[in-house]
Amino acid sequence: MIGYILRRLLLMVPVAFLVTVGVFALARLSPVDPVLVFAGEERDPAALAAIRQDLGLDQPPPVQYVAWLSHAMQGDLGRSFQNKQRVSEAILERLPATFELGLAALLISVTLALVIGIVSAVKRNSVVDLVSTSVTLMGVSFPSFFLGIVLILLFAYVIPGRIFPPGGYVPITQDVGENLRRLVLPAVTLATASLALNLRQVRSSLLDVFGQEYVRTARAKGLRESAVIIRHALKNALIPVVTLIGIQIGAIIEGAVITETIFSWPGVGRLAVQAIPSHDYPVVQGVVLVSALSFMASTLLVDVLYAWLDPRISYEAATA
Amino acid sequence: MAGATVPLTLARARETRFAGTRYFLRRNPRMIVGGAIVFGWLLAALFAPFVAPYDPLKVDVLSALEPPGSVHWLGTDDLGRDVLSRVIWGARVSLSVGLISVSIGLLCGTSIGLAAGYIGGKFDLLIMRAIDALLAFPALILAIAITSALGPQIQNAMIAIGIVAIPAYARLTRGQVLAVRAREYIVAARTVGCPPLRIVLRHIFPNVMNALIVQVTLSTAFAILAEAALSFLGLGPQPPSPSWGQDINYSQRYLANLKWWMSAGPGLAIFTAVFAFNFLGDALRDALDPRLRRSA
Repeated sequence: MIGYILRRLLLMVPVAFLVTVGVFALARLSPVDPVLVFAGEERDPAALAAIRQDLGLDQPPPVQYVAWLSHAMQGDLGRSFQNKQRVSEAILERLPATFELGLAALLISVTLALVIGIVSAVKRNSVVDLVSTSVTLMGVSFPSFFLGIVLILLFAYVIPGRIFPPGGYVPITQDVGENLRRLVLPAVTLATASLALNLRQVRSSLLDVFGQEYVRTARAKGLRESAVIIRHALKNALIPVVTLIGIQIGAIIEGAVITETIFSWPGVGRLAVQAIPSHDYPVVQGVVLVSALSFMASTLLVDVLYAWLDPRISYEAATA
Repeated sequence: MAGATVPLTLARARETRFAGTRYFLRRNPRMIVGGAIVFGWLLAALFAPFVAPYDPLKVDVLSALEPPGSVHWLGTDDLGRDVLSRVIWGARVSLSVGLISVSIGLLCGTSIGLAAGYIGGKFDLLIMRAIDALLAFPALILAIAITSALGPQIQNAMIAIGIVAIPAYARLTRGQVLAVRAREYIVAARTVGCPPLRIVLRHIFPNVMNALIVQVTLSTAFAILAEAALSFLGLGPQPPSPSWGQDINYSQRYLANLKWWMSAGPGLAIFTAVFAFNFLGDALRDALDPRLRRSA
């Protein structure tokens, strides 16, 4: 197992290297001179040259890349052009809000997917199944920003009493109740798309497993249907679901970009969106790098978890 | 006598062909529903100047914020612009971004996959690591990063979504190439001295076609959704051009005044278009590629 993990880590190195090259190159694609953005109102050529030298932008791109990478590996992702705050600090400050939103959404999505998915698979072709499969396809096709707006309209403006506010964030350390009240709408919005994927996966995995011989054997032994489902079928059917959930955890920042923007949720996704109009590329670059690396890390974790959960998976074959 | 037999044979052949198509469609009603909606949107986009009841850019402050009614079926926005006309013209933007970006992904991804799969060795290893690196970026984040770097323009949104689509096509094609590369007819073609390009295009590529058709349909749905998301974030076409995502973003400021129709039109347009492409893609997958068929 350790050998397998090491091999997977080694395979990740060239990919991570290419990711850093990509992130570095992306920031350099911009036609806007970063020195002018950083300088703000300042247009004195001498001052601009000093800033260029200060930022290391007078060096050839490969030298700039090595300097950027060595700083990034020490956790220094540069400073924001807007407020001169350290990018790593800005990201760390906002990560808890993003994780809170992402995990709440995942909790809603996984719980509903499990309950509806099991009922849907057990009662195949029933009304519940028909409704759940239709909802699945609709959930995948419904743009999250439109859903967010519909929810805001309904719960903040149409239904009297403003059950859930249209946006904003109160730290959980400050007021738990208010934090949760403000969390509901963004979490439901974010959960919808992944609910569709999870539900589809739970249902189809269970249907696959129901056709296996060991499930037939369990039924033939006279076990109760609930025991067959929970103790035999679900245990194996959930392995692909675990993979999907792992990948979704890695993609929390991606999912949060739109939702945080609609609900003014002060997370990492909104940080990137706010940095775009002002060409604050160290911030955009930092968020892209962090989200890509967390996505890669979650993929690795999922692979390891998968191999651990399902002993039939050969470590040798998996690395080939 | 012979003269009467020929048309009869042709008529029978045609009848059999139509009967086959009818049978195929009857067995796949999702294809009819999905295909009809997609066709409807394509027609709306193509004939927008004739179908749209008003000029989507025409400001008419006297009719501002009118709710849906007989004059303006989907209402008007704060500048009195007809929402339905903007939705119809917005279809041009969304569908063209969807189709062009998918073409970019298809062309680049398929070429990369064919080359990597057929050539193999170190070339395959290097190319696939680059594809893995591209896959390591969450799709929307990568599209946002590329568009924000290149500038908020419709062409840049197309390029960004196209680049994001490349890995799926490359991996799909490479997988199929690897599966057929060692087959006897490929070995035979190689033995008789068939040039590599001919082998790839004439003998390998047709094997990938079905899977690619399915992927094109499903990734068009993703591309429309991604374009709408980019436009919503202000990274797509710029105002006053009609665009579904951007119009929803614009409508947000009137939510508190309960002017729901400003976002309902473009929102439902995105939903129906994406739903139709997903529906069509799922139906095509079931019909064309039984190996990919879900157990559902």
